[in-house]
Amino acid sequence: MKKQRIMKAITAVILLAIMLFMLAPLWWAICLSFDETAIFVLPRFSLLPHKPSLFNYKLANATADLARNFANTIFISIVNTVTSVFFALCCGYAFAKGRFHGKRLWYFVFLSVMMLPFEARLIPLFMQYKSWGTLNTYWPLILGNFCYAYGIFFARNNIAAIPDSLREAALIDGAGEWKIFLTIIVPLSKPLIASLSILQIISNWNSYLWPLVILRDRSMQLISNAISLINVTGIAGVSGEGYGPKMAVAVIGSVPLIVMFLFLQKYIVQSVALSGIKQ
Amino acid sequence: MKLKKIKIELTWYSFIILSITTVLVLVYYPMLTSIKYSFYDISMIGEAEKFVGIKNYKLLFSHSSFLKALKNTLILLTISLGTTIPIGFLLANLINSLGRGKLQGFFRVGFYLPHIITGATVTMILQVVLKANDGLFNNFLSAILGREISIGWLSDSNYSKWGATLISFWSGLGYTILINLANLQSIPTELYEAANIDGAGPFQKLIHITVPNMKSCFVFLLVTGVIGGMARFTDLYIIGGNTTSGAPNGSLQTIMMYIYQFSFEKMEFGMASAGAMVLFLITLVFAVISARMSGFFKDPA
Repeated sequence: MKKQRIMKAITAVILLAIMLFMLAPLWWAICLSFDETAIFVLPRFSLLPHKPSLFNYKLANATADLARNFANTIFISIVNTVTSVFFALCCGYAFAKGRFHGKRLWYFVFLSVMMLPFEARLIPLFMQYKSWGTLNTYWPLILGNFCYAYGIFFARNNIAAIPDSLREAALIDGAGEWKIFLTIIVPLSKPLIASLSILQIISNWNSYLWPLVILRDRSMQLISNAISLINVTGIAGVSGEGYGPKMAVAVIGSVPLIVMFLFLQKYIVQSVALSGIKQ
Repeated sequence: MKLKKIKIELTWYSFIILSITTVLVLVYYPMLTSIKYSFYDISMIGEAEKFVGIKNYKLLFSHSSFLKALKNTLILLTISLGTTIPIGFLLANLINSLGRGKLQGFFRVGFYLPHIITGATVTMILQVVLKANDGLFNNFLSAILGREISIGWLSDSNYSKWGATLISFWSGLGYTILINLANLQSIPTELYEAANIDGAGPFQKLIHITVPNMKSCFVFLLVTGVIGGMARFTDLYIIGGNTTSGAPNGSLQTIMMYIYQFSFEKMEFGMASAGAMVLFLITLVFAVISARMSGFFKDPA
């Protein structure tokens, strides 16, 4: 028993060392962002800023309208999450409980989407939106979400596990399918909705290539694209690399997801893990 | 009676009709167009479309820059998956051996933290960390090795593939650990108990019980890793200074960057579409393997 505890302690120490090594870049970035000396040259690694101040954040804030890019990203994330998850649930319900012609065909059509990389249809899709005159608007970022293939697959499996007796009782009471869906299925699918929403928020926050192709105005851009633009064009009024202000931008860009993660980590870890386990 | 049946059908279709329309108009139609474009000479879409057979493909495979991009993509994804998956598996085993509890939760969250950070931000931070002079990583190596190291991890084309792998490793390790851990914990404990009775050591248990039971997990990570790695774009585009050149010296240009270059910079959509088809076919092979192994297309009824 004692030997086992010693083994456990050694394992924990090794893991802690590796973890600190992995987290060091993050800590360093945060340090640099609060360090006034990190403008032209990189200061040596230290656990705390050499000259702590908010100077870098002021510079970063003066360079770009990050608040605007933030608001854009939050708007898109909310719209996309709500639409994609809602319609995934609708389809999931129809495929789990419905009886109609073409059910197997359409389910197959949706599932196959997961095998078609988005990148392979990027060019025609861009042309299509161009011909509709919707470049540089948010429509191309939103419309595709009405068929969230993974969500449909996930929702179907979860809703199929809801006992039929609930549905049948409601049918006898004269309820229609939409009423059953909205008053029974949706409330019973809260864990499913939470999981899919978390995955959607993360993926929206990370999307880069498609918004890069579609959005031209800087004021419309999402946070990832805005950050990478600052990374290249540099910080206004700083002739050097501007390490500190750049790291301030990086920290600002990652704060919302980190905060969300720290509050919801149990659910996020579960949702992500679930997406990687054989159903 | 017949009318009632139609009404039932319509009700069910009302749940899926919007998604059906979307999937046809925004997924399958552009996909077919992409296939079509790859056989056409297209300078301005809609104006000068001309069928040219497999000329685009012939041109593509005679382009040394395309072959280089293809090679870069495959090398990057091989070393990235070849390091992340085994190391993630080993760390997940260590974390799992702590037993369920606060300590395990602590490590799971700590290791996962870098993965929650947006790709663009990760690249921005690691660009500074991997700098040749005064970068954190070279400082660390210098301290360990006792001599000055100033490797340009992202600026020297001899090292850039390793530098790019350090980026994908840093942001992907937590995810790999998480998936490994979840699958490790779904292995029935009876198997280990039986092995204990037979007097098996920890190494024997790892080889004879853990690894065989983790096969589907490895396949999942490998296949999704290949699909993601084939389309790698964001971090390498940012490293190249928001260009598709694949700087340093084209060593980090991937297929997706090549496609982007030919479509949005050179406006040669036919060539770009042929490139997209190559990307699609390689991805499809892996997706089909994964679907077959996981029994994905089960009968929904």
